[in-house]
Amino acid sequence: MDPASTPLGKMLLEEITPVVMVLRTDSVEEACVKNGLSFVEMLSPFCNFSNIDVPLRTSSDQPYRLRKFKLRLVYESDVHQPNVEVAKERLKQVITKAGEKENSELSSDPPQVSNLLDSSKSELLPSWFEYLNKELIRAASFSEHETFDHPVACLLVVSSMDEQPINRFVDLFNTNKLPSLLNDGAMDPKILKHYLLVHDNHDGSSEKALKILSEMKSTFGTNECHLLCINSSQDATMEHQDDPWASYKNDASPVQHLGCCLDVDDTSAVSATRRGFRNQIKNLWWRKGKDDPNEMPSGSMYTFSSIESQIRVLGDHAFMLHDYELALANYSLISTDYKLDKAWKRYAGVQEMMALAYFLLDQSRKEAEYCMENAFNTYLKLGSSGQQNATRCGLWWIEMLKTRDQYKEAASVYFRICSEELLHSAVMLEQASYCYLFSKPPMLYKYGFHLVLSGDRYRKTDQVKHAIRTYRSALSVYKETTWSYIRDHVHFHIGQWYALLGLHDLAVKHMLQVLACSHQSKATQELFLRDFVQIFQEAGKTFEVPGLQLPVIDISSLKVVFEDQRTYASYPAASVKESLWRSLEEDLIPSLPGARTNWLDVQTKLMPKRLRESNVCVAGEAIKVVVEFTNPLQVPISISNVSLICELSQSEEDKSDTNASTSELENDEDHQRVVMSDSASVILSEIDYSLGGGEKKLVELTVTPKMEGTLKLVGVRWKFSGCVVGFYTFESILLVKKIARGKRKAKQSPLNDLKFVVVKPVPKLEGHIHAFPEKAHAGHLQPLILELKNQSDCSIKNLKMKISHPRFLSIGNKEVPHVDFPACLEKRPDNKQSGTHANLKKPSEGVFLFPEDVAIKGDKPLLWPLWLHAAVPESVPLYIIIYYEMEDTSSVMKYRTLRLHYNLQVLPSLDVSFKISPCPSRLQEFLVRMDVVNKSSAQSFQVSQLSSVGDNWGISRLQTIDGIIPSQSLAVGQAFSFFFMLKSRRQSLVDAAGHVPDLFPDIGSDVRLCPESLKEPLVNITHSPLSDFHDSERSQHGIRNQEDDNTVDFILISRPLKSDRNSEEASDQPQLFSHHACYCRQYSLLPSSNADNLSEQKTASTSPISWTMNGPRTKYHNFSSSFCEISLRMTIHNSSDVIASISINTADSAGQSDALPSPRGWQPVVADTKVASPKVSVAVAGNSAELPSSEPVASPVSPFIWSGSSCSNVQLEPSSSTDVPMQICVFSPGTYDLSSYVLNWNLRKDGGGNQLEAKEKKPEEMRKLWGSCSGYPYFLTVLQSV
Amino acid sequence: MATTASFIIVSRNDIPIYEAEVGSATKREDAAQLHQFVLHAALDIVQDLAWTTSAMFLKNIDRFNDLVVSVYVTAGHTRLMLLHDSRNDDGIKSFFQEVHELYIKVNFLQLGCSVHVLVFHLSIVEKN
Repeated sequence: MDPASTPLGKMLLEEITPVVMVLRTDSVEEACVKNGLSFVEMLSPFCNFSNIDVPLRTSSDQPYRLRKFKLRLVYESDVHQPNVEVAKERLKQVITKAGEKENSELSSDPPQVSNLLDSSKSELLPSWFEYLNKELIRAASFSEHETFDHPVACLLVVSSMDEQPINRFVDLFNTNKLPSLLNDGAMDPKILKHYLLVHDNHDGSSEKALKILSEMKSTFGTNECHLLCINSSQDATMEHQDDPWASYKNDASPVQHLGCCLDVDDTSAVSATRRGFRNQIKNLWWRKGKDDPNEMPSGSMYTFSSIESQIRVLGDHAFMLHDYELALANYSLISTDYKLDKAWKRYAGVQEMMALAYFLLDQSRKEAEYCMENAFNTYLKLGSSGQQNATRCGLWWIEMLKTRDQYKEAASVYFRICSEELLHSAVMLEQASYCYLFSKPPMLYKYGFHLVLSGDRYRKTDQVKHAIRTYRSALSVYKETTWSYIRDHVHFHIGQWYALLGLHDLAVKHMLQVLACSHQSKATQELFLRDFVQIFQEAGKTFEVPGLQLPVIDISSLKVVFEDQRTYASYPAASVKESLWRSLEEDLIPSLPGARTNWLDVQTKLMPKRLRESNVCVAGEAIKVVVEFTNPLQVPISISNVSLICELSQSEEDKSDTNASTSELENDEDHQRVVMSDSASVILSEIDYSLGGGEKKLVELTVTPKMEGTLKLVGVRWKFSGCVVGFYTFESILLVKKIARGKRKAKQSPLNDLKFVVVKPVPKLEGHIHAFPEKAHAGHLQPLILELKNQSDCSIKNLKMKISHPRFLSIGNKEVPHVDFPACLEKRPDNKQSGTHANLKKPSEGVFLFPEDVAIKGDKPLLWPLWLHAAVPESVPLYIIIYYEMEDTSSVMKYRTLRLHYNLQVLPSLDVSFKISPCPSRLQEFLVRMDVVNKSSAQSFQVSQLSSVGDNWGISRLQTIDGIIPSQSLAVGQAFSFFFMLKSRRQSLVDAAGHVPDLFPDIGSDVRLCPESLKEPLVNITHSPLSDFHDSERSQHGIRNQEDDNTVDFILISRPLKSDRNSEEASDQPQLFSHHACYCRQYSLLPSSNADNLSEQKTASTSPISWTMNGPRTKYHNFSSSFCEISLRMTIHNSSDVIASISINTADSAGQSDALPSPRGWQPVVADTKVASPKVSVAVAGNSAELPSSEPVASPVSPFIWSGSSCSNVQLEPSSSTDVPMQICVFSPGTYDLSSYVLNWNLRKDGGGNQLEAKEKKPEEMRKLWGSCSGYPYFLTVLQSV
Repeated sequence: MATTASFIIVSRNDIPIYEAEVGSATKREDAAQLHQFVLHAALDIVQDLAWTTSAMFLKNIDRFNDLVVSVYVTAGHTRLMLLHDSRNDDGIKSFFQEVHELYIKVNFLQLGCSVHVLVFHLSIVEKN
């Protein structure tokens, strides 16, 4: 490729051309201005010779031809290096102007990357770059260190109108106006001069002019003088076919053709003379050689006359005449000289020209680049003085690289040109970015980055439009990027800038992209948010933004709560699993259709199919939508006017289609009138709230349809920061109709629940429990009030209620008002209320039927008492279902249910356990040890009463009240044991023998545990609700034979210590705690692990046989005389209702170690399996523990033997006692345990029928027909008498 | 290792899968975005260079002012990129190798499990 035809080549041919300095008088300008042109402008078109053919010779006489040539005409006042500030200002103007032109494009979308790559360079590259670059290059012109800008000739122009034109010519050149280049010796003041006389034809004939011309010729010489006649057109309307000034000035007015011709002639002459001048110089130099140094003045180092300058001039002239070889030779000649002299600027200038010469010669690229880089770096080293030259040099270098398709390198040069001057570097960076785009392969990321860098600088110099343009282009690269910071930066800034220009819509569009910037720092988030809000405020209107990301909506959290038959008292109740409610509802609601034919089937038929298959809601009742809003930012945001978007469509057939078929349903859409969010048809709730940093919030929204039809939930809308309306559409997944299993549709995915059939209003019951406590200590007994309300005028009937945990919550008696709690629980002497609860309708299977006269209507609520008893310490979800039917049978729904849900957390309080052991000396009397531990964390308790349940048992204290607990309360963590005597009342009645003297004639079932002085009344445990709760406790404890007389239930009543009450609960209400222990039996078998107050214990053995050993405990005997015989008496009692045969088998203790049993007779003793041989049955299991633990005690005691019969049999009538005499022989003094006997018993049933019956009984009871018991410990001490 | 550094792992489709600002220097407010810009732009250079050499470690492939980009290209064309300001080629190289090993291990354990990412993060911070 010809280097001269490349862009750089063309540029060089244009820029590095001879300069002709123009000196003119004012009248010359005046004449030209008539055409709207300055003199230079007028002549400029004729300084371009694109089609000449001038033969030339190089210095070595090689002939060549000049085809293109150009002259630059410059006024003398312009022949100086442009002021840096002025140049900058000019640059700025150019850029600003360019920015304004592109206004229209700013708002369009950024182009796609693929489009970018396809489009041609000229399309993409802003056209003003070229112009700007030219300006930049010109900014470095007329420097003294290079000569191609130095005028080679001088054109002196005088008008024919001037007085004394000849003198004027002389004056023009002599004035001090001559450029400094000439005056300070940088160039030869002996410049070639050419004299031109301008004649305006409007000012008269040319005769005068011709006269002056001849005068001039005689004065200055014939060759140097010319006449130019202008304005020869008479009417000034002549049209030019080809306006040569078009490219210079658009408003060029017609100029006489003749003048143009003359001009051409003139300039040709000028060029011809200039050629001659060059040859003169060349000759001059060769002639002078090096031996003429005396012409060098003492001024600057290199004046025009210095050899170096002369060479430089020669080189430049050769360059201008396209003799590049010569130019290069001259340049390289002085290059080293300059370098040695450390004349860096000149050195750089020469290097620059060398590089250009290499380029135009299309020789060594390496050399060219090397020289260029050298020049560039040298200029840069000079600092600010070299900056403009560096820029020019860089631009040439870039052009050179571009010519060779080295775009990447070009880009880096652009980057290096960047100076501290922001605007300048902005343009350079932008150009660099295009270089990256044009490089092969395109470097898009670099393109984007440099655009952003450039835009940033444009913005800093207030070139907002340019900034937007660059960022907009960068967006095509960064649009889909996952590099979060980059995306945020670009969108945020472009948004800001659009806002500056007032393009608020676009600003918002971009700002929206950065709002959900959770990865940014808090400060940045605040900044984004603040700017965003500010833009909106500036915009002065609200925007509707789909897909606003603040706050984030979690669609998976979407929950729709609607009420058909099922109504909910609270949101927590609605969020309970449907299956749970359903299992509770089973007994309440009419059975499912198809199961049985009953009156309910009619109802199902009445219910249109479409109602059964889709979600049903009732007009006038709110549908609740719960959706989670998340603030992804660390800064708080405020959200207001959150509401649902709904469509309510009214179907005309709605009323007629009681037998609606599926096809009709599908056609529905066509017949509907869609009502969009009309306030007349639906009521929407609006919520305002704010979200803290990172906060999640469940927002409850409601929509209340006011008329029948089909309601569709479309989405949710909200207002962000009071200005932006965002909305979110729930993706409408087509409602997939599944085969409805049962009348009620199970909750499917939330999206399926967005369409509802709205039916006529039906009564709805609302209910809640007053002041339901969230926390309670175990045992807490509290009355509660359930309030039921029916807002509608239609009445309801057939109320039923079911509670999931009767153990915790029981239904009270309407007749007993709660106001006097706890007085209503008190035991009064005349209290015969034990029958009261019998009057109540006992809930069958847990279903409570309200009395039929209960009516709830209008404003009057129904208050119903409930009792809460915190049975065991755990978290209990309580579910209450209230079922009711409509009085109005014509309504779509026949019945509804109200579901209430509460959570109760029960904290541990007193832990009560009982241990019962038989009284060693009495039949049917037991010692009870009650261990109470306060396990609560803060509360102290006062135990006030222990009661045994039922009439079978009497209980009495063994200690005085004051002796029990000195402090009268149990502090946190404190444990205490109480001892009681338990006595079977029945036994004492039956036993007529009088063996068991009634020591406690006043024995009752209640024992007061606090001093009488406290005046706390005893609590009647036989009364509801305590009895109810006790029943629940019993049933909770498993299925037992309730008639088992051998177990005893205890209820411990306690109160919180009064002094503590103020601290925690300020309630004045007296509190009462009841702790229930059921089925206590003699000797605990299992450690009381499961519940604090429910340990499985035994009072008496399950055996119907009980006995005591009577006899002396201490005996003195003189063993020296004989062994000791001791008589004992065993009293055996048969408590069963059949005859029992009992055999007593004594075993001598030879094989056993006589152990002194530990005094811990109260402790549960681990069953010793060695003794309790496996053959013994359940009765043994109960009694085996009685055996002393076989701790080997080294007591040297001799054994004793049972004397008398080793086995005696007795028959015992039902419920009778008998005495059996026993005897032992003791051979040495010591303490003996006389438990080495076994009682085998066998119950004899009267007839076979009974036997059979017995067999039908459970195995456990079968075993009770026979059994054997080991003996009780009975200690006898025999001492040697003196 | 370096006073300012930004480490990033870029998947083969140019999506950043791990980012960490490492180094001791106090960070400017806009450091994060600048680092991303520089590293993002450097991907172009990596693209150019990666196919011209068999080496995995490409040191100082790009620079912006005094920030230098070094890259380690894995066989799967995942790029571990480090933006740093002081030259310590050996240190950086060994850092890359260790991270690469870790990366492979974590990949086996499915990156995405938070525990592993945490371990990964800790070890990377530690190495700096």
